[in-house]
Amino acid sequence: MRKIALITGINGQDGSYLTELLLEKGYDVHGIDRRSSQFNRGRIEDTRQEAQKRGQVFELYYGDISDFSSICRIFSNCKPTEIYNFASQSHVAISFEEPAHTTDVNANGVLRLLEAMRYFAVEGCRFYQASTSELFGNAPETPQNENSPFHPRSPYGVAKLYAYWIVKNYREHYGIHACNGILYNHESPRRGENFVTRKITYSLARIKAGRQDVLKLGNIDAQRDWGFAKEYIEVMWKMLQNEQADDYVIATGETHTVREFIEKASAIAGFDIEWEGKGVEEKGRDKKSGNIIVEIDPKFYRPEEKTILCGDASKAKRVLGWKPKTTFGQLVEMMMKADLELIDSGK
Amino acid sequence: MGKKKAIISGITGQDGSYLAELLLKKEYEVHGIIRRASTFNTKRVDHLYRDPHESGVNFFLHYGDMTDSSSMSRLIEKVKPDEIYNLAAQSHVKISFEVPEYTAETDALGTLRMLDAIKETGIKTRFYQASTSELYGKAREFPQTELTPFYPRSPYAVAKLYAFWIVVNYREAYNLYAGNGILFNHESPRRGENFVTRKITRAAVAIKEGVQDCLYVGNLDAKRDWGYAPDYVYAMWLMLQQDKPDDYVIATGETHTVREFIEKSFSHLGISIKWGGKGIEEKGIDKENGKVIVQVDPKYFRPTEVEHLIGDPSKACKELGWEPEVKFEQLVEIMTDADLEILKKKIANKKI
Repeated sequence: MRKIALITGINGQDGSYLTELLLEKGYDVHGIDRRSSQFNRGRIEDTRQEAQKRGQVFELYYGDISDFSSICRIFSNCKPTEIYNFASQSHVAISFEEPAHTTDVNANGVLRLLEAMRYFAVEGCRFYQASTSELFGNAPETPQNENSPFHPRSPYGVAKLYAYWIVKNYREHYGIHACNGILYNHESPRRGENFVTRKITYSLARIKAGRQDVLKLGNIDAQRDWGFAKEYIEVMWKMLQNEQADDYVIATGETHTVREFIEKASAIAGFDIEWEGKGVEEKGRDKKSGNIIVEIDPKFYRPEEKTILCGDASKAKRVLGWKPKTTFGQLVEMMMKADLELIDSGK
Repeated sequence: MGKKKAIISGITGQDGSYLAELLLKKEYEVHGIIRRASTFNTKRVDHLYRDPHESGVNFFLHYGDMTDSSSMSRLIEKVKPDEIYNLAAQSHVKISFEVPEYTAETDALGTLRMLDAIKETGIKTRFYQASTSELYGKAREFPQTELTPFYPRSPYAVAKLYAFWIVVNYREAYNLYAGNGILFNHESPRRGENFVTRKITRAAVAIKEGVQDCLYVGNLDAKRDWGYAPDYVYAMWLMLQQDKPDDYVIATGETHTVREFIEKSFSHLGISIKWGGKGIEEKGIDKENGKVIVQVDPKYFRPTEVEHLIGDPSKACKELGWEPEVKFEQLVEIMTDADLEILKKKIANKKI
């Protein structure tokens, strides 16, 4: 049987890696693209041209998961055998600014996709939902696994919690093969520039090139479980190949602080960073030049975090045979080098 | 301090109407939100309504809708309420499988819109959210408390789960005075006619009076924790009178089966039932005349049944000083008597 994938959120970090993986595996790939007056296909445009040269199917459709009729039309047109839902307003802090929009897309959008599947998808079509460690929020236990209680802490987290449960409900009631991948932070050179990891590497590269003075951050002692996006994509695909649909925590099981990330990245960029001061007054100085390159801006503080989000992915290892390979140090190095090159190339 | 003001969404429902009565008795000025419809939908509160041109009127109705943010902001801005009770919802579990998106729009997003309207207008008001035992669904411990993990089993329950957490989030992130009342089933003579308890009492009196032959129900052995709605709206009010907002389970702590409800309602009317057959073939027979008066129709089975739901209201008892006054037997009697009276009036007026 021909394998046909439909990816929502195809222009995002994860969408672009998944596209590459599926094309490699010989899938037809279809993506949903929101119309915008600015070019937003930067992460997939090269891949698309190459796929077309090879004669592979890689189509994009205008649509929006807040528009039910567009979903139905696209399902009918491309008849996917696997659907990967990456579309979302994916920024936690912004969800406090636009909670209703975040809910419409991240919660109701998922419901619309599942409803459309019941009527317009081919028999046996499988569904992957991009769920998130933000469900755990203030979880009472560390590390978290698939049985840990949820306590979301943002409109983003609450909307994703709705999505998690509606997926589980459609699986249990209608027998749809639908999985939630509860992914912890996953980064790459393609991460959005307003996420902390990428903001660090991108800013340091700009500072190095003399195009920026200082990098401003919130709580640099916040800890995260950071993995490499490309490896997380492989496990999504594995979830949909498994006979039994289920939910999985995907994580490295290790946490590091933002401070460690900065230290490693700045060393690679050729800075020699030294910390001085405390709290909001803390600053990072480059010993070589004597310049202050890191400052704290309380504007980026999140509400107090009582819990460390650290995932226990042993179920994914046991059932799907998956385990992360890229270490924290390799991840930082990869991202820092990519941004140094990017800035160097004048972009 | 002037008169307290309250806004009630869903005022035309069972709980809204009892709450309006309670608040009027406590001398609140009560503002209800109603949805415009071409058919009359205010019969549960018509007895409270007076022409606003008269003096001393304390009860007002406004058009609005949970899907319309601006209507909410406008009303909050205009009334400047001390308390808001969000009882509006697509409240039928089974219908939520037919209209899942509308259910999410109203029950989930509607709650967010209201919280956001409070936050944006900056008006100091207390917020009550009508949460539900359906959050527990496939419950993982018995009885259920405020700490029991949730496992919603319908689009209704998933939407209400969103509402629960968005209330907690707005309380934690913005310090709003907002609390969830996790209410277990609560019934009354004003319960909607397509909810099982009311369906039973209406059918029982109709069978007693000879205007109906048989009652068709779904799962006879489904167990519920049924309380009396007026007791429960009192708990809602108590929740908003505390120093600190919090979430509370409101329940009786007892469960009974649909079968017991049927037996009790009929026996109150002097009819005793003998059961025969099994599963969907099971029938309830009037012992006296041998007629089949209860049958199972699988059409009423839920796509996924919720397990044995039984609430532990200890926290509400301890912190709010609340106790359920009307228990199961008395509840069935109240509902059966009320439906008997309605039916007798109809017969007397030759409406049947």
